[in-house]
Amino acid sequence: MSTGQTMLTLAALMFLSTILLNFYGLLADTGDDIATGQDGILATTFATSYMELANGLSFDEVTDTSDIAIQNVGALTPVGSLGPESAAEDSIHKFNDFDDFKGFQTEKEIGGTSRRFRATFDVNYVNPSNVTINSSSRTYVKRLDVKIWRTFPAANGARLDTLTMSQVMGYFHFD
Amino acid sequence: MMLGGTLMLIVMNANEIVSENQSVYNGDMLVQEMLTSAAQIIEGELRNMGFGIAENQSAIAQADTSSLTFLIDLRNGGSPIDTVRYILGPVTDLSHTQNTLDRYLYRRENSDETRPIGVVTVFHLDYTTRSGERLTSPVDPGRLIEIHVVEVTMEVQNPYAMLRRTNEVTPGERDAMYSSSIWQQTRLASQNSRR
Repeated sequence: MSTGQTMLTLAALMFLSTILLNFYGLLADTGDDIATGQDGILATTFATSYMELANGLSFDEVTDTSDIAIQNVGALTPVGSLGPESAAEDSIHKFNDFDDFKGFQTEKEIGGTSRRFRATFDVNYVNPSNVTINSSSRTYVKRLDVKIWRTFPAANGARLDTLTMSQVMGYFHFD
Repeated sequence: MMLGGTLMLIVMNANEIVSENQSVYNGDMLVQEMLTSAAQIIEGELRNMGFGIAENQSAIAQADTSSLTFLIDLRNGGSPIDTVRYILGPVTDLSHTQNTLDRYLYRRENSDETRPIGVVTVFHLDYTTRSGERLTSPVDPGRLIEIHVVEVTMEVQNPYAMLRRTNEVTPGERDAMYSSSIWQQTRLASQNSRR
């Protein structure tokens, strides 16, 4: 084999190695994407479960027991006081209104998967004509923002998405 | 000659890895699609559980770990109120598949025929009161009205097995592997219990 042929063979081998490396990388990425899909399913169900619980609560501490806020938006909880009303409201079973979720954090292993997810919650008054904009004053509409990410198994350098979901609740009353 | 042999080995190895991964990925995709398809039906219907029911009436008529019967006004017609039942079927219904654990999840509306809405390996229901007490199954009929949250856990496995070599199977394990996907969600027994 001449020097030229040897060089050509080496170049071909290097070329093949590069192709194979890319190829195995693509295979690994596909596996990651499918695993991310399962994480996405779990994170979404985790988020929607808490959103469902929030949806079953009163709009506000005041509206839980009275109708005073129907004519007077100023009767609602002040913007700076959103969150649990007292230290006794320390778990979701003790929450009585939508904004009790403000600042709430929880971590949970989802049944049988050995995957743990962490969730953080935030609640704000929002502009009724554009619910993506937080309001600096009391309104009849609140938005719950949930952020969820996997804490176990650790990412170990792999891509780890944070899922963000929101739910809007408006105050309404049946007379 | 040696170089050619090496190249051939590399290509054959790559080919084998592709085939193996393709079946794993296809299986994973399949179960995720099967799971989301069944979950969409359950999620949507449980979301409206108790719709049209009087405040002082229980939305749930029967509850245990593998079946749930609830009341709902499906057509928004007021009367009569509909009764929907979800029930996990026996594994014998799907004894022709390779997976020994898969079974139908059935849905029945009023006195209509019971129809399968998906294939699952786990369909487990838990019930919690407003104070967080987990009720034992089957839930006592007198306590059905106390159910505040229904937690549904569902697992779907691939009906087609990836068979394992005998030396890879330890005692107590199944002789095949199945792609699996899990879904767990909580739903309120009544949407307007506090509003």
